Amino acid sequence: MSGGAKKIVVKTKRVLGLFGDFDAAFEAIADIRRYKVPGVTVDDVTLKSPIEHPEIEDVLGERTSDVPKWSFWGGLFGLVFGFFFLASAQATFLVQPQGGKPVITIPSNVVLAYEMMILFGVIATLIGFIIGARLMRKGEGLYDTAISVDQIGIVIEVTDGQLQPLKDVFATHNVLEVHEEALT
Amino acid sequence: MSDQKHLSQEQAKDIDENIAWAKINKDVLRSMENPRKGYWVALFISICLFCVMIYAEVYQYIVGMGPALLNTSHMWDLYISTFVFWIGMSHSGTLLSAILHLVHADWRKPIYRFAEAMTTFSLMTAGLFPVIHLGRVWNFYWVMPYMSDRGLWPNFRSPLIWDAFAITAYLTSSVLFLYIGMVPDLAICRDSATGWRKKLYTFLSLGWRGDDRQWRNFRFTYLMIACFLIPLAVSVHSIVSMDFAMAIMPGWHVTTFPPYFVAGALYSGCAAIITLFILLRYFFKFEEYMTMPILDKVCKLTFVIAMVWTYLNLIEFSAVWYGHDIPSKEVLIAKATGPYSPFFWGMMLCGSVLPFALLSKFVRRNMYVMFFVSIFLNVGMFLERWMIVTPTLSLGYHPQGFNVMWPGWVEWAMVGGSFGWFGMLFLIFVKVFPCVSMYEVKEMVFHRKRVIYEDVDEMMELHSGVPGPKAEPQSTGGA
Amino acid sequence: MPSLLGNIFDIWSDYLKGNEQGGHHKYEHMYSMVIDLDKCTGCNACSTACYAENNLAWVGEEKFGARQAMNWLRIERYFDEPDMDAAGDGHGMEQAAATQSDTQDRGASFLPMMCQQCNAAPCEPVCPVAATYHTVDGLNAQVYNRCIGSRYCANNCPFRVRNFNFYDNAPTAWPAPMDQGLNPDISVRSKGVMEKCTFCIQRTRAARDTAKREGREIRDGEIQTACQQTCPTSAILFGDLLDETSKIAQVWKRQQMKLGVYKQDKANPELRGYRIFEELNVDPKVLYLERVREV
Repeated sequence: MSGGAKKIVVKTKRVLGLFGDFDAAFEAIADIRRYKVPGVTVDDVTLKSPIEHPEIEDVLGERTSDVPKWSFWGGLFGLVFGFFFLASAQATFLVQPQGGKPVITIPSNVVLAYEMMILFGVIATLIGFIIGARLMRKGEGLYDTAISVDQIGIVIEVTDGQLQPLKDVFATHNVLEVHEEALT
Repeated sequence: MSDQKHLSQEQAKDIDENIAWAKINKDVLRSMENPRKGYWVALFISICLFCVMIYAEVYQYIVGMGPALLNTSHMWDLYISTFVFWIGMSHSGTLLSAILHLVHADWRKPIYRFAEAMTTFSLMTAGLFPVIHLGRVWNFYWVMPYMSDRGLWPNFRSPLIWDAFAITAYLTSSVLFLYIGMVPDLAICRDSATGWRKKLYTFLSLGWRGDDRQWRNFRFTYLMIACFLIPLAVSVHSIVSMDFAMAIMPGWHVTTFPPYFVAGALYSGCAAIITLFILLRYFFKFEEYMTMPILDKVCKLTFVIAMVWTYLNLIEFSAVWYGHDIPSKEVLIAKATGPYSPFFWGMMLCGSVLPFALLSKFVRRNMYVMFFVSIFLNVGMFLERWMIVTPTLSLGYHPQGFNVMWPGWVEWAMVGGSFGWFGMLFLIFVKVFPCVSMYEVKEMVFHRKRVIYEDVDEMMELHSGVPGPKAEPQSTGGA
Repeated sequence: MPSLLGNIFDIWSDYLKGNEQGGHHKYEHMYSMVIDLDKCTGCNACSTACYAENNLAWVGEEKFGARQAMNWLRIERYFDEPDMDAAGDGHGMEQAAATQSDTQDRGASFLPMMCQQCNAAPCEPVCPVAATYHTVDGLNAQVYNRCIGSRYCANNCPFRVRNFNFYDNAPTAWPAPMDQGLNPDISVRSKGVMEKCTFCIQRTRAARDTAKREGREIRDGEIQTACQQTCPTSAILFGDLLDETSKIAQVWKRQQMKLGVYKQDKANPELRGYRIFEELNVDPKVLYLERVREV
């Protein structure tokens, strides 16, 4: 807005606007993207919805997730660790039955390392999900049970001055309810 | 509506896209409350069957494996067949949740939750049998690789150890997949529950609030675990098949066993899905979600898998018949004409002939007939597992080992009890957790509403040059 | 407990060798047997001796009929087909069948079958807890304490020579004071454990210990298995194949038998020696000498 030094803006309020349908919420965010509310950018917006809406990234901006990285490294760890753990155990347990077969058998170790790859990959994915999605945290504030039924919520943290313009933008898109909470 | 003219007249809808989302929540949450008398009767019967199993196991623990009528030739019998049967039943949940998810078949959405639960509980049931069939049950933990102070490890060359690893990986992954997929639903349950349920769901839903960050990570997590689970499911049943394929016995040492077992697993799993589908639809009045067109699709899928299984079965027989391996040929001929032949032909009838009933629209649309057809398909698959184990052992290579054996009461008690254990777990599940995935049904409804409009508009613009209405459709979606 | 990664890099290439590549074991002995089927009269003395020596429990008629018996060594009877009667006097099939009886003259053959101590035993790799393995004596050992009773080894044995303890047979088989007659050198197995012929490993170990104490090698003929000791016609011969001066090594050499192959390549096809099921590539160590038949 006023070009010049960056100011650190202290957000004082968190606002939740509940919308009855997805397209209204989509347009509201589109408006915010077009800077209809001075000082608020799409990066401040969080969408709360009953179902997933990957198409919201058209207006919300592309955001990434780290979960595939967790899966990859977890799987790789499982594969390598599995194979070497098994080979070491076989090499140490020298009375291993023979049956005419070698002590470190590649076919069986490959099979077991494959299973370990998947097991560790899945567990790593789960950990990545919990960390990436910021689950299991207390009091992330402002939630309405209607979100789990059929309403879409847009949550933005604003200063007092931005509050009214934001409510106006919401009102132009048929917002059903607006909740506020003061940020401490 | 005129927009639907491009749909064929016969094609009924998988789901009514005008269902209110609040109604979806209400219907599914209602299914978890107020169990009626029938539910308690079913639960009681399951617990009784399970107690029979416990009694039989205690008896076997004290007396030994003898009363199961196992002998020097038949060292394995119903325990292993039932084990393979339950592992097989678990594959359909993975098929529905993971494979159909990757190909964006959204008709799976109302039904995959209970299928995935069936997977998990089948695995938990199957996991009982490798322990039960041991002669010295109390030492079962020796198959786990741990640092023992005597420097002993399990024998990683043994297919039974591969079983242990594979089933551990599969059970863990299935439970996690079921749970992760349920997190948004548990949030819904949390928002409308009271008392002990609220505490449970609050804990289990991990603070899910429907943030776009949470949904984004959730999408990737679901996709990643689905991608892991598909090769895992294939490998698990292949490894179970290697219990037999890695042995040298005629009739067991068969290269086609891994795909044959996987096909059989998908088959029996799909049949079980049909059975549970019909039961849940009837008892919980889920007619709007578990619709007949979806049952239709599942039946067609079952038929296709039945044909795959039949092909692999016949190919195995043909390969044996053409080959020069006399012991294998004798085993095959004994299966068809020997003392076990009634069960062999029963298996062929139920497994290869009965699926043709699924081609008839009357059968597919009739719940009563379909229920019995699906039960008999599964009976056929149980017989198949038994026919894999027992005829080979009754012949083998050495003529002095020829023997005909019929299972004892202990084995039958264990088999029946396993159904009781499964039933118990499943019945408790449907009352504590939502057996229809609410958020996925909402997604299905949402996308089907949009698809109709988008298709027609694009088609109009493309073919006639008439600009379609504005990109924003009317605000009738969602509420 | 040596470090987990310690051994793996030391002799990695050694660990990858299977039987066909020379194997991992450095064998100290290679105990094997030769059984002359021409001398075997089917008297079952060997089977009885095995029962006595190895604390095998009798199970009674009912359980024996249900095939839950504990006989490590069994005498198998084979009858010639009726039109092949050994007398060769051209009797018709019916008459030959009517005259069939348990004597070798009239067409019955006897074959003592016990664990063949295969060098590439199919029972060894399938045990989930490594309760059966191959010793440096060339024997297939069964560790009763480790066995959890999964019975995969018995399924994989083509000879069907493994016995499982389906019951606790000890209390009924040896009621007091009969348990005073048990062999103290060997344990009494409880239920849930697999067992089989061990080539009287207790006698082998005792001889080895004696020889070590006296600072010498084991002499040929010093170890006698119970079945060999009891056989009235000396049909069973036991010894160490790695000892080239032993009788058994000479018999194997005369019969032109080789270990480690699944098909013998003999210069003289009339030789009587053969191994059972060697085409399954299990490398059994019991050499059977075929019964001499008049042609």
